[in-house]
Amino acid sequence: MFRAVRDFFAARNVLEVDTPLLSPFAPIDVHIDILETEAIAQQTGYLHSSPEYGMKKLLAMGSPDIFQLSHVYRQGEIGPKHQIEFSMIEWYRSHFSFAQLIEETYQLCLLFLDNLPLETLRYAEAFQKTHSLDPFSCSLQELRARSCELGLESPLEEKESYLTFLWDAVENSLGDHCITCVTHFPGSQAALAKTTTENGINYASRFELYHKGIELANGYHELTDPLEQKHRFVLANQKRVALGKKPLPIDEELLQALKLLQNQDFFGVAVGFDRLMMLRHKTMEIRDILPLCW
Amino acid sequence: MAQVNTNDFKSGMKVEVDGEPYTIVGAEFVKPGKGQAFTRTKLKHLISGRVIEKTFKSGEKLDLADVEEKTMRMVYREQEHIVFMDDISFDQLSVPLSVIADKEKWLKEDILYDIVFYKGSAVDFTPPTFMELLITETAPGVRGDTASGRVLKPALLETGAKVQIPIFVEEGEKIKVDTRTGEYVSRV
Repeated sequence: MFRAVRDFFAARNVLEVDTPLLSPFAPIDVHIDILETEAIAQQTGYLHSSPEYGMKKLLAMGSPDIFQLSHVYRQGEIGPKHQIEFSMIEWYRSHFSFAQLIEETYQLCLLFLDNLPLETLRYAEAFQKTHSLDPFSCSLQELRARSCELGLESPLEEKESYLTFLWDAVENSLGDHCITCVTHFPGSQAALAKTTTENGINYASRFELYHKGIELANGYHELTDPLEQKHRFVLANQKRVALGKKPLPIDEELLQALKLLQNQDFFGVAVGFDRLMMLRHKTMEIRDILPLCW
Repeated sequence: MAQVNTNDFKSGMKVEVDGEPYTIVGAEFVKPGKGQAFTRTKLKHLISGRVIEKTFKSGEKLDLADVEEKTMRMVYREQEHIVFMDDISFDQLSVPLSVIADKEKWLKEDILYDIVFYKGSAVDFTPPTFMELLITETAPGVRGDTASGRVLKPALLETGAKVQIPIFVEEGEKIKVDTRTGEYVSRV
């Protein structure tokens, strides 16, 4: 399947690259914990949680459309669908559209799966189907009441956390007999994507693909505004501190790279290789396809 | 009180949720979308046996339930209690018959039983899986009645348990019984 993926990109003229796994900068996300090590005396090295930052730096140096098949690391994530170390297929496209990227990602998934149809849903529609609540207009009390019904024991800090918890039940219902593409995520879940405003609601320019309740892909209309990006990093670090986690060093090289990319449109997507393999081999346990794992 | 982090949840752990003792029967890491991680658990109530599903934030801590399991030897029977002894400390304590409930029929002096204590009082009681017991009452076997296969007859054991035994086994014999099902296993 590694070869099938490489052939897929070769046929589309997308160049394979290989960025370092270990770097002096850390990807910053409130809810992703990074593995670190003492790389050289008294200097911490961070194992990347996705090749995103490195690849964007290459784009800024003038690389054409690129892809990478990379191992990535996330501390403490062990479960039926999670491993600390796993494989990601990530690629970037310029002179492309959001719809084209969705179509291309869907085609890549079909390398692993039977010929399934693609269904597109908005985040709010999917949420409503499972919980009969509009995620954008409902109150914190309504979210809390629904979470309690589903056995949530912990009190959560904010609306965002309740949406995340409730999203788990939504995910499980997605893509039973098709591949489901979810778009129009809340603006607060943009991560490294651009946001758009429609009828007064802020949306992330982001999509995710699901099959049989498993998240397979996460695509962005990439944010290339270095100031906005820095602002999101600072915010994420503040939230990390509030949760009792360590703040992480901001990748100034990435911000420099974004400066060079500022007026360009890029689309990028990450696909979970191991999860596609799970579905290919009809198992709901990631361990079944990773004989050497945690 | 000792606590346990959701990351260290293991099946068989005894934890306290809403002031009630539960055994963890399953724990799973879930991380929906881009958000925070949760631990989804299946919990079995230590006393009622009811199974519920609860989800906790990853990294959260729960109190370990004050639960102790002891193997104790039955000494004698009182009106509403059974007195057991700890073989090591020689401590004696009495367990109300209400806790022993329908397992009363497996009570025999000098046998070791597993008893679960929650906050110092007995809440669960388990006899040995197999016990060797004397048949105190059964009708004599009638020969020539075995054509239809394995034919059973009722018998009363020394502990008061009523079991079905093969017709060739007689009063005064000792048999091995499975206390989970009350089924005859073999002659001893």
